[in-house]
Amino acid sequence: MIGLFSYHFDWSVLWRHPYGDLLIQGILTTFHLSFIAWVIAMGLGITMGVFRVMPFWLVRFIGVAFVQVFRNIPFLVQLFFWYFAAPLFLPTSAQKWLHEHLTHYSYWAGVVGLGIYTASRVAEHIRSGLLSIPQDQFRAAYSTGLTTLQTYRYVIVPYAFRIVLPPFTTEFLTCFKNSALTMTIGVMETTYTAYYIDSFTFHGLETTTAASLVYLSISLCIVIFMSFIEKRMLIPGMIVRGK
Amino acid sequence: MDLDVIIRNFEFIIGGLALTFQLALLTVVGGLFMGIVLAMARLSSRPWIYYPATLYIHFFRGLPLILVIFWLYFLFPVVIGRPMGAFSSAIISFIVFEAAYFAEIMRAGMQSVARGQALAAYSSGLTSYQTTYYVLLPQAFRNMVPSLINQTVIIFQDTSLAYVIGLREFLRRVNLVDAREVRSIELYLFAALVYFIICSTGSLISHRLEKKRVGRLFN
Amino acid sequence: MIEIKDVSLWYKNFKALDHISTTILKGQTVVLCGPSGSGKSSLLRCINGLEHFQEGEIFIDGVSVQDPKTDIYQLRSTIGMVFQHFELYPHMTVMENITLAPIRVRKKSKKEAEEKAMELLEWVGIPEQALKYPEELSGGQKQRVAIARALAMEPKLMLFDEPTSALDPEMIKDVLDVMMNLAKEGMTMVVVTHEMGFAKAVADEIIFMNEGRIIEKGPAQSFFDNPKNERTRQFLSRILWQIDSRVKVKGSWN
Repeated sequence: MIGLFSYHFDWSVLWRHPYGDLLIQGILTTFHLSFIAWVIAMGLGITMGVFRVMPFWLVRFIGVAFVQVFRNIPFLVQLFFWYFAAPLFLPTSAQKWLHEHLTHYSYWAGVVGLGIYTASRVAEHIRSGLLSIPQDQFRAAYSTGLTTLQTYRYVIVPYAFRIVLPPFTTEFLTCFKNSALTMTIGVMETTYTAYYIDSFTFHGLETTTAASLVYLSISLCIVIFMSFIEKRMLIPGMIVRGK
Repeated sequence: MDLDVIIRNFEFIIGGLALTFQLALLTVVGGLFMGIVLAMARLSSRPWIYYPATLYIHFFRGLPLILVIFWLYFLFPVVIGRPMGAFSSAIISFIVFEAAYFAEIMRAGMQSVARGQALAAYSSGLTSYQTTYYVLLPQAFRNMVPSLINQTVIIFQDTSLAYVIGLREFLRRVNLVDAREVRSIELYLFAALVYFIICSTGSLISHRLEKKRVGRLFN
Repeated sequence: MIEIKDVSLWYKNFKALDHISTTILKGQTVVLCGPSGSGKSSLLRCINGLEHFQEGEIFIDGVSVQDPKTDIYQLRSTIGMVFQHFELYPHMTVMENITLAPIRVRKKSKKEAEEKAMELLEWVGIPEQALKYPEELSGGQKQRVAIARALAMEPKLMLFDEPTSALDPEMIKDVLDVMMNLAKEGMTMVVVTHEMGFAKAVADEIIFMNEGRIIEKGPAQSFFDNPKNERTRQFLSRILWQIDSRVKVKGSWN
C-alpha cells in the first residue's frame, strides 16, 4: 500500500469547472442512450421473440437467424460494424448527407448497436417465457369458450408477463452497463468521460470511482425494484424466477 | 468487395486470435478457481464469510467490465507504486470480474441438486463431507456445465474489451488494418464471421449438454 | 425401542408437531396416517435426526437423538429410510447406489458389499437391474432398489415416508409385498402411508395424526372397526370411500 500515500486524492475534480459539467453530461448521455436503446430493444426483441414461436417456418427462421447472429458476435464488433462499416453500404450521396447532418453520428451508431444487441437477448427471454407456459393453459381457456384473442389477452399475456419480468429487469441493467462500451466509438458517456478527465488531470481514480458509483446505484435500484415487483406480482405456487 | 485485404493481412489478424485465446483461457482458469471459493463462501452459514462474498459478487455484477478494466488500470499503480502492464492489467481485471459470474453459476448448480438427495445420503449414515463429495458435487457439476460453457463463450467475446487498453488481440488488429486500408465492410464482416463461428460452436456444445442433462435427472 | 417424549417442532411460526409422545416397540409395524400437513413426515424425519426439533426428546434404544454427545452418523447408519420420490443417486448405477454407504461408512470391501447387494436385489425381486442406471427403471423398481439400499446397512429400524404415493397403481403392489415380507421377518417399521389396505393387513398399531398432534393410537383391527375419536372417524370415512369404490382385483391390496 506504499503507493496509496504518495497519491494525492483530489476529489474536487468531480465538481470543479469544467470537469463537473463534463461528468454530468456524460452521466446524462449514459441514461438517455440506454433508454432509447432499451425502447428499440423491447420493440424489436418482442417481435423477434414472438416470430420464433410462430407456426410459419419463414417467420421462425427470421427470428432464429436474428438471435443467433446478434448473440454470437461480440457487442464491440457489432458497434464497430455499425460505426465503420454500415454507412459504406449506403450510396455515396446518403453517406455525404449523413456526414453533414448527423453531428453525433457515434451516438446514433451506439444507440442502434446497443438496441439491436439487447433486442437479440430480449427475444431469447420472450421465447423461453412463451415456451414455459403449459399447453393446458390454452386448452383450459379455449374449453370455456374464449376466443384466441381473449385467451391471449386475459390468460396468456398476464401469465407470460410475470415470467418475463425478472429477466427483463436484469436485461435492462445489462443494457445500461453495455452503454459504457459505446465509448470505443467516441460517445462521451460516463466511462469515457471519466477516462477523458483523467487524461487532463491525472486523477483517474477519483473519476472512475465516481463512474462506478453511478452504475452501482442503478444496479442497486434495479435489485430493489425487482424484489418489490416480485412481492407484488408473485402468485403463490407459481415459479416466477425461472432459469 | 475486396477480399484481398483479408488475405494480405491474414497473418497479422489471425495472430491476434492466439492472444485472444490465451486471454480467454487464463481468464477461465483463474475465474473458475476464484469462482469456486466465492461460491462456497456464498453457501456458508457463517456471516463473516457470507457477506463479503455476496458484496463482492453484487459489486462486480453491477459494473460494466470496461469500467472495471479502467478502474483497476488506475488503481494498481497507486497501490503498487508503479504502472502495470496492459496484459497483466487485462488478465487481472477479467479474472476478478468473471469470477463473480462463475460463482453464481456454481452456487446455483449446487443448490439445484434436489434436497431429497442429501436427506437420502444422510439417512444411510454418510457424513457431510461424504454426502457432498459422492452425491451432491457430481450432480451439481453436471448441472453447471452448460452454463459454465456459456459463460466461457461470453468470456471469449469479452476479451475484445482488452482493446481499450491497447492490447493487440484479434479485434484490435482488425481495427488497425482498417485504419490503414479502410476496407471496413470486408474486415468487420470477417471479424464478425470468425467470432460467430467460434461462439456458435461453443453455444451448440452447451445446448447439447443441456439436453443430455435434462434427460438424465428426471425421476 | 423408540421413545418419543413430548416433542414439539416449529418451522418459523408454524407449529408442525405439538407435544408428541408415544412409544414404538421392537418388531412392531406402526402406520402413521392423517391429512396433509398433520406432521407425519416431520415426525418421521425427527426420528433419525434429519429434522431438528425444538422441544422434547427421542430415544432409540436408549440413545438420545439430539444429545450432542450422540454420534448421529453412527445412529443413522442403524436406521434405514425410504422416500416418496425414491431419491436414488442418478449418476450411479443401481449397484453403486446400494454399495456406497456400506463401503464408505461401514468400511466394507467392494466385493463384500456387492455380494450383499446382489442378495438384497434378489430378495426384492430385481437382480437383473444391478448394472442399470436409475432413469432406466420403472417407479416400482426404483423404490425396491431404494429399499435394498436402505437394507444394505443392516438397520434395526426402517422408516418409510409415503413410499407408494408417487407410484403408478400397478406398481404399488410390488412395493407393498416387499414391505410386508420385511414386516414378517420381524423388522421394526414406521410407515407413513395412505394405503389403508396395507395398514389393515400388516400394521400392529396405527397412529392417526392431525395438525401436529396424535389424535388416536390403537391396534389395527379396532382402529378401523371402532375409531374412538370423531376426527378419526371423519378421516376414515373420507379415505375409505376411495377404497370401497376401487375395483376389486384378486391379490391386490384393496
